[in-house]
Formats: sequence, structure tokens, C-alpha cells
Amino acid sequence: MKTFEEKWTAWLDDQLSGQELSEFETSLPDKAAAQAEKAEVKKLGELLKRELSVHPLRNEEFFSHQLREQILQDGGEQPPERARRTSPSTWWTIPRLLWTGTASLAVFLICTVFVMHQERPPEESQYLTQILNARVDPVVSPNGTVSIFEVKQDRVTVLWTEGLQSLPADYAAK
Amino acid sequence: MHRSLAIAISVLALTMTAAPALQAAETVWSGLVIAENITEPQPVPSELTRIEGLLKKFFGYNQFKVIGQSQKILKTGQEDWLATSKFFGLHVDARGETEGGYVLNLKLYKEKELLLETDAKLSKRSPLVIKGPQVGGGQLLLILIVL
Repeated sequence: MKTFEEKWTAWLDDQLSGQELSEFETSLPDKAAAQAEKAEVKKLGELLKRELSVHPLRNEEFFSHQLREQILQDGGEQPPERARRTSPSTWWTIPRLLWTGTASLAVFLICTVFVMHQERPPEESQYLTQILNARVDPVVSPNGTVSIFEVKQDRVTVLWTEGLQSLPADYAAK
Repeated sequence: MHRSLAIAISVLALTMTAAPALQAAETVWSGLVIAENITEPQPVPSELTRIEGLLKKFFGYNQFKVIGQSQKILKTGQEDWLATSKFFGLHVDARGETEGGYVLNLKLYKEKELLLETDAKLSKRSPLVIKGPQVGGGQLLLILIVL
């Protein structure tokens, strides 16, 4: 059993026929007003059909691509190329840390080698006392000579004189 | 955090810069020593302990007796001093500090007579021994050590 609204809708759409149509039109309180409303509805329908018809889409490939990307982004995925391009750049990633560490180590080694090459470690003689010059008075000790010994084992430098004037034991007094 | 770091760096820098200045104050011992061969030798003075073996081996004596000595603290490296005995005098004139030592001018006098003069770069790690004249049965040695 159809309700009045169902029959009204079907009547507007010209879906009623025969006895059902005549019974419905008879039940209408003001048939003229109903016919006028039906005509208005039909006009409106035609207007909507005309205005809201689907226009052919230009550049549909482009829009399709845009839509797919938007869908992927909304789903949390990105095309690989775009992901590489647009991923946020965080400098201290593990690979970059490794590269930075390796590069720093290399620079350090180069500098160390350079510095060590420039400044050779002091020779052992620099740790020993050095005699720069020595002389005995030729008047007092005409046969006096000097020699220098570096005893590296004991790290002692000895200035050895020969031919100095000998002195009596009294000179050993404090 | 940053303030603590700055203070720590400042302290470290001050320590590093102050360290060489602190190291510059060194004491130099200079002595006039008579080396002799004695039947009952006396032990060597404490200043000579570190080179006792060398002295005995190198000069062939068994006793080393100090007849005159002087200790000088070098602050500027420009000081001069005298170590004297009754007849000998060792005048030491420091003429600057170099890397690891001091440049010294040494003059050995017998009374007022100059016997020997030498310029040496005395290393802080390496004593200097000078063989002087024969004195009786022994030998005069001049020894300089950075203590």
C-alpha cells in the first residue's frame, strides 16, 4: 500500500497510470493547483538537467595524476622520487655522522702529519747540556786544551780540560 | 650551562698559559768539587747522587768533596751568582732561558786569575761537569745541575 507521498512523487514523475492515476487525481483536493505544481517541478527538473550536466574534462590525465598523488599523501605514502625530494632534511643522520666523523679524522691525520713533518721531535742532543764554546787562558795555561764529551747514557756533558796549571793540595781548602 | 662551560675553558686556558711560567722557576746548583782517591771515602753529597756512578767511572776517583757551592733560583734566566772556595771562584752569568735550559757564561777563577771560560746551554735534564786543574793528588771539578 503506497502512501500519499509515494503516489505524489510517482504522479509528478508520470509513473501512475490507469485506475491508480484516476484514483489519485480524484483524491487531490485542488487538481488545478496540483497540475501547476507538477508543471513547476518539471521545469525545475529540466533546468537542473541542463545546468548540471557533466562537461567533458580537459587535461584529464593531469587531474588524474594530481588526484592520485593527493590520495597517496593523504594515505601517508609518497611516490619515491617525490619523497626523496620533499623529505625533511635532518643533518645528523647516522650516515652523515659517519661521513662527518671520517672526514674529521682524515683532516686531523693530515694536520698531524703536516705538523709532525714541520716540527720534528727534538733530537736527543737538545736534552743534553751543550758547550757552546770554551777557552783557557793562554797566558796562565799555554798548553791548555779542551774537549767535550756527551755521555748520553747518563745524560751528562763533560768539558774535559788538559794542560791546566797544577796546584798544590792547599788549594783544595774550603 | 654555557656559563659553566666558559668558566671551565677559562680555567683550562689559564692553567695552560701559567704552566710554562711556573716551570721557569728552576734551581741551579753549582759546586766546586775536589775528587780524590781516599782509603775511606766519604759518601757523595746529595746533590751529586744522581751522577755518582758517572763521576767515579769517568774520572776514576772514589771521593767527591764539595769545597764551595751555591744554589740559585732562576726566575728570569738573567741572574748571576758566584760559588766560591778559599782559592777558587766560579762565576755563573745566566744569559737567558731557552727551550729546555739556560744559556750560561761560566768563569773559573783562581783567586783573581781567570783560568777557564766557557759558554754552555745547561739543560734542565742534563748536568754539566767541567774538569778543572789538578789540585794536589786530586782534581777540581765544576758541576752544575738543575735540581
